[in-house]
Amino acid sequence: MLSRFSDVLQTAADVLAPPATRLEDFQYHWKMIIHFYQNYDDNSKVHIEDTRIPHHLHQMLQLIVEEEKEQQGGTVGPCLEAIVQRSVCLLDALTALAAADRPPGARSLALTTGTALLRRTRQPCVNSAHVYRPLQRMLIQCNENPASPTEKEEVELLLTLCGLVRKEPGLANIFTTPFVEEKSSLLSIPEDIQRLIPLKSKVQTPKKNPLFEVEMAPNPMRNISLVRTNSKEDNGAITTSNSSVADDNVSCKSQKTVYEDNDKFLLIDLLLSYLNSADNQVVLRACEGIMIVSSLPEDDIANLVTSCSPVCETIIEKLAEKYKSVPLDVDPNDVDHLNITWAYVAQDFGDKGYNRFHGYRELTSFFSWLDYCDTLMKECHPAIASHLSRTFRAQFLEAAGELALGSARSATLAAALLAKCLRVVDSQELINEFSNWLVGDGEMSEWPLLLVLINNCLSDDHDLTLETLRFFETIVEKGTEHSINRLVLSRVCSRGYYSQQPVLEEDERDRLNDVSLWRERERNREAMKQLQHEDHVTEQINDILQHEGLETKEQPDTENIHRIINSFLLLLPRAVLSDPVGSDYEHYIHDAQRHYQLWLDVTSNFSWPSDQNCGDNTASSTHSYDSRPEADIHMNEEFQPLHQTMDHKDTWIKDHYPMDDNNHFSQKLVLRTRDVNTTAVEEEFDEGPFFRMLFKLLSNMPYQPYQVNLHLTAIISKLALIPHPYLHEYLLNPMLPTSKKTPTLFKILQDVARRLTMEIPRIKNYKKVIESTRLQLMSEDPSYDDRGDHNQLVESLIVLEEFCKELAAIAFVKYQHGMHMHG
Amino acid sequence: MAYAYLFKYIIIGDTGVGKSCLLLQFTDKRFQPVHDLTIGVEFGARMITIDGKQIKLQIWDTAGQEAFRSITRSYYRGAAGALLVYDITRRDTFNHLTTWLEDARQHSNSNMVIMLIGNKSDLESRREVKKEEGEAFAREHGLVFMETSAKTAANVEEAFINTAKEIYEKIQEGVFDINNEANGIKIGPQHSTGGGASGAGGAGAGGAAGGGCC
Ligand SMILES: Nc1nc2c(ncn2[C@@H]2O[C@H](COP(=O)(O)OP(=O)(O)OP(=O)(O)O)[C@@H](O)[C@H]2O)c(=O)[nH]1
Ligand SMILES: [Mg+2]
Repeated sequence: MLSRFSDVLQTAADVLAPPATRLEDFQYHWKMIIHFYQNYDDNSKVHIEDTRIPHHLHQMLQLIVEEEKEQQGGTVGPCLEAIVQRSVCLLDALTALAAADRPPGARSLALTTGTALLRRTRQPCVNSAHVYRPLQRMLIQCNENPASPTEKEEVELLLTLCGLVRKEPGLANIFTTPFVEEKSSLLSIPEDIQRLIPLKSKVQTPKKNPLFEVEMAPNPMRNISLVRTNSKEDNGAITTSNSSVADDNVSCKSQKTVYEDNDKFLLIDLLLSYLNSADNQVVLRACEGIMIVSSLPEDDIANLVTSCSPVCETIIEKLAEKYKSVPLDVDPNDVDHLNITWAYVAQDFGDKGYNRFHGYRELTSFFSWLDYCDTLMKECHPAIASHLSRTFRAQFLEAAGELALGSARSATLAAALLAKCLRVVDSQELINEFSNWLVGDGEMSEWPLLLVLINNCLSDDHDLTLETLRFFETIVEKGTEHSINRLVLSRVCSRGYYSQQPVLEEDERDRLNDVSLWRERERNREAMKQLQHEDHVTEQINDILQHEGLETKEQPDTENIHRIINSFLLLLPRAVLSDPVGSDYEHYIHDAQRHYQLWLDVTSNFSWPSDQNCGDNTASSTHSYDSRPEADIHMNEEFQPLHQTMDHKDTWIKDHYPMDDNNHFSQKLVLRTRDVNTTAVEEEFDEGPFFRMLFKLLSNMPYQPYQVNLHLTAIISKLALIPHPYLHEYLLNPMLPTSKKTPTLFKILQDVARRLTMEIPRIKNYKKVIESTRLQLMSEDPSYDDRGDHNQLVESLIVLEEFCKELAAIAFVKYQHGMHMHG
Repeated sequence: MAYAYLFKYIIIGDTGVGKSCLLLQFTDKRFQPVHDLTIGVEFGARMITIDGKQIKLQIWDTAGQEAFRSITRSYYRGAAGALLVYDITRRDTFNHLTTWLEDARQHSNSNMVIMLIGNKSDLESRREVKKEEGEAFAREHGLVFMETSAKTAANVEEAFINTAKEIYEKIQEGVFDINNEANGIKIGPQHSTGGGASGAGGAGAGGAAGGGCC
């Protein structure tokens, strides 16, 4: 009441006397604050918002902001100068208020006023000791108790300081240990203020504050070398008062600092403690603060962040925690459909309706944190990024992988979660960590984890199979050179599947040219229809190819691509086809074109055999390389030993693959050759565990659920798109000469087709069943999967039919690309 | 409170153009004369009515300063609308629009509705950017344009509501997939009372991603 009265008096006085200067106004409000505390009665329960203190603080702030607008060239105005010189101990008072919370609400007010001062002024002179000291002290008040009622205001102040550091990196020094001296001096608040605003003893020695967990070096200044730059303040705009502490002459605008092991980056450490807040807004602020500081380009700060604070470890630890708290019985489909941006989640979580299905909150919490890690990876300094990604592998992936080794249920969930993780992660470093973790980065090429996952695909539990396949699908989709080399190419690149065995080859070709059984074709009407159908398909393909810009007459090789396409399209006889007219073939071509381009972009910097070879191989695929001189040379150089007679082999290897050759492909070759040496005459090609699994599932197609087949074929078509010449011919060249026992995609497809062609006509009304199944599958009715009346056999027939169209399209698109490459 | 739809917006543009003031004027109907620098992102929300339907707007006011761009970028993804603001009294803020637009287009989903705002229209005497220039820029880049004043509240309601209308129309046209939260749109509680149907929706359509059939 009294204070309000005096304010009025002052206003009245203003009318009579000449207008007060801004500084006088400023001092007036300061006096009013002192006056309030001189007369303060601790027994009064009045809240600070019901006093004049907020008003006076606001006015003081306003005066500083106004004067700054008029200051020229960054000089400091008289009001701010009064603070810097400590003639008006505003900041000390705020610190005392924050500690004492007297009257109630003062703490929150002090924090917001401090924050506002820093945000509203362009030059808050933080590098002056009289400004940063009180700020340091105020930070000590923060975090004193983890769930403090003022945590919002505290984290806001921290975020503001992060912002200042972001704009003036030298300020980081204020928040590292060397600058924090003896506890006693740090905590000291000027006596007059202390008398005014006495601290409760409890508050004076905060326990849970990282500031006090620091082992102080005897002489902290020894640890740090500072390069002093002359700031404007040093030049006399501000003369520091005599009472100032010794290190006032240490400018914080240092450019270079040397950090010791036990140093701490307090600003970040303090932020970390708010990551555990129950209030998502507070967590969000802390996350923002960490991102702001981590994205600084200065190497110094980055080193400080990684070596003097546990920030990366803490963030990844939280990720692992959130992963573990996802309930085991969430539906993998729900995982698949999540779409989360970290920055928006804090707000969503306040929404009570934010719990759509079992496990939704846990999943959201996990994936939003992952999104934060991913975003941080992309925004932060490279040194922090590499530390963070290493931690991601060591502390998250390794732990997450353990789930994959557990029960079928936990393995299914782990596969679903990890697949989703990999799908949403965008930072290349995290993707690399993922692939190295899966396929290993040491010498061992068949990683235990990989083998477990491959085995999980072959499990009787279809859910486990499905989720693990989805995981592999993502691994291929987000393939790195290393992961594709290890997982897919390690065997194929030896070209050991290739075998020139004339008799077999002829045999093979005969079979290929007569996809349907020739005897029947001669004998019955169905065969006539099949012939017509084949002609029709050929005609259509011609049309499409011409439409795609392929001039049949100009290109001598088009005959070959025709044969390849026909091999796929005529794999199934007309009688069991559900959609014999290749109407969606063009659609597959366009899809393949788009995806192939993506692959070309991704693999453009891989050290694979050139795309040119790839084109050559496609073009010459039916010629078995005979008609291609360059291809011949290539082949002879690299692969002759495998097809040579025994006695020449050893010398050849010594010539071509010296033992110190560190190319791991060639190491494999040597091994394989030795196998041949010790075993039988006919060499068996080992396609490796991954292809073995895929082929095994593929031949089991008729007896597997539709979803499994869908994902299985999706993986194989992705592999078929990869622009690698050997992988290409291994998957897409039906005329490839191989030894009888070597499994190839086409052989397995033929076998499946044969079985389906035999079994399906036994189904009653099979044409109708095929037709209705197709309609149902195409309708994309979500309830279809849940119904029991599926005909798996027919479903797999339709998947196979579409798969063949897709493979034919891929083969064509790659061929077309090769043609363009050669003019 | 029940709503039919929820839209997520962001406000972007150079520092000091009045982004925070626009939000404050829209949510609280008051004006803040000092520049309280935004660090990180501020949040505001308000209910509006379009076509007789209650629509909840959630608005994220981002920091304009270059130093905080890493945070701003996190918000592009998942927003249905953006108010791109410049200050008609500062030509440099107008000149930076292209950079902002590139940034937004690169990080957001392609359907995001962008409204171009020339703010501080009350300061006619200090105008540096003609209204026609703003219009031309908007036309060239396919944006909706409006001049506003966060101080006098002129056109502030309209700016936010017109953006919402535009989004609403896109929903009617079926451009936005409202089941995908990444688009910054959520259907209100009374719409999704179908007993978890929205959660299961599309589960079977996984085939579409599978590449084989469907
Ligand atoms: N005259 C006038 N001043 C305005 C108007 N809008 C904002 N201002 C002033 O412009 C200054 C900056 O406004 P803010 O809204 O804080 O700026 P901002 O775009 O949020 O800036 P950042 O947070 O740094 O990105 C303040 O001083 C406002 O008072 C307006 O329409 N008219
Ligand atoms: Mg702002």
